[in-house]
Amino acid sequence: MIRIDPADAVPIWKQIEDGIRHLVAAGGLRPGAPAPSVRDLARDLRVNPATVARAYQRLAEAGVLTVRRGEGTFVTDAPPGLSRGERSRALRDGADRYAVLARTAGASDEEALRAVEAALARIRHRPEREER
Amino acid sequence: MNGNAAELDAVTIAYGGKPLLREVSLGIAPGTVYALLGRNGAGKSSLVRVLLGLQRPEAGKALLFGRDPWRERASLMDRVGVVPEAPDAPSTASADLLSAFCGRVHGRWDAGGVATRLDRLGVPRRRPFGKLSKGEKGSVHFALALGASPDLLVLDDPTLGLDPVARHELFGDLIGELADRGTTVFLTTHDLAGVEGIADRVGILAGGKLAVEGDLEELKSRFRRITYSNEITPSRESYGTELDLFDAARVRVRGWGVEAVVTNFDDARFERFRTQEGVSAAGAEPMSLEEIFLAVAGIREREERKTS
Repeated sequence: MIRIDPADAVPIWKQIEDGIRHLVAAGGLRPGAPAPSVRDLARDLRVNPATVARAYQRLAEAGVLTVRRGEGTFVTDAPPGLSRGERSRALRDGADRYAVLARTAGASDEEALRAVEAALARIRHRPEREER
Repeated sequence: MNGNAAELDAVTIAYGGKPLLREVSLGIAPGTVYALLGRNGAGKSSLVRVLLGLQRPEAGKALLFGRDPWRERASLMDRVGVVPEAPDAPSTASADLLSAFCGRVHGRWDAGGVATRLDRLGVPRRRPFGKLSKGEKGSVHFALALGASPDLLVLDDPTLGLDPVARHELFGDLIGELADRGTTVFLTTHDLAGVEGIADRVGILAGGKLAVEGDLEELKSRFRRITYSNEITPSRESYGTELDLFDAARVRVRGWGVEAVVTNFDDARFERFRTQEGVSAAGAEPMSLEEIFLAVAGIREREERKTS
């Protein structure tokens, strides 16, 4: 499930947005599955529903979630890929952060790369998802 | 009139000629949650009374839905639910009886909703009010305050005296209410952890005025605890002009260096600070609402000293 820390400097809506993205990427929320309602998630996390709604709106704009009028919010059937430029930027940003983390932790390049491979493998072996 | 559900405009409160609060101005936008924070005696409850038309300010004015609560209290109170700081009711009346009584006074009364809420909060509805615990009394007032589906809910320190479970339930219920009805909420509280995820906007009363006010997210982005070691000042008991880039709410000189709480942090400013001569090992940590409150409303430290 999603964990948030209200005392964190990262805005709560951003923590929720990242949490849902993570759940979708890791297969905890499958394509087509209903997302928790704004009300339920707000109550679970003890945060303002408007904050959850803001995260959901951003996720809908990004194509991660789909709002079906009268039915609720669902994980998009086929999560959209990013454009080539966006993808390379996202990868570079994430890689930079990870590289700094690995260095600070005193990991060798080889160790750091192995950890990335292991993380990719874990996601690859997530519960099977429907083919399109 | 600018569409705020409630506002205070330069409200000054005085008791016996002694000013307690000077020129407090704040606005509560419809559908938002405003948390007013302050130490005991800072004047939170006085402001609540002014807003509800129970007390006339020394100067300035309050507006409820654009109207004067002092003159039009009776008609305005139909739209406001109040949970007072010290929940009180006739000691022999049960919650069920109180709800029935309110139903006769209010045009729109959701008796079923009140009963459901009381059951959920675990309050025995038939027990006389005088025999309820402090937390249960608060829950009764909370349920009654929502019984008339108010446009504005005013809570004066609602979690004071509640145990952690009751407190968790109350915030959960409040969130449900926000989600279902988009009720505007004005609350005073000491429960900083509880409101951290809920408040849209926060005001902190300190030093006889509204010392800090803003969107919670914005406050948290501009407050930081900065630490560094200072190589310019020779003695370890002071700091110099290097902090002038920032508005510092509190500075402490420690054995290892200087710790300052700054209220106008941004990345560019910190970059300039960090690269100043004599400043080394500078770090900036985000702060929780509680830490911000302590820095603003806490007692100023005696070790605060500046040279130059």
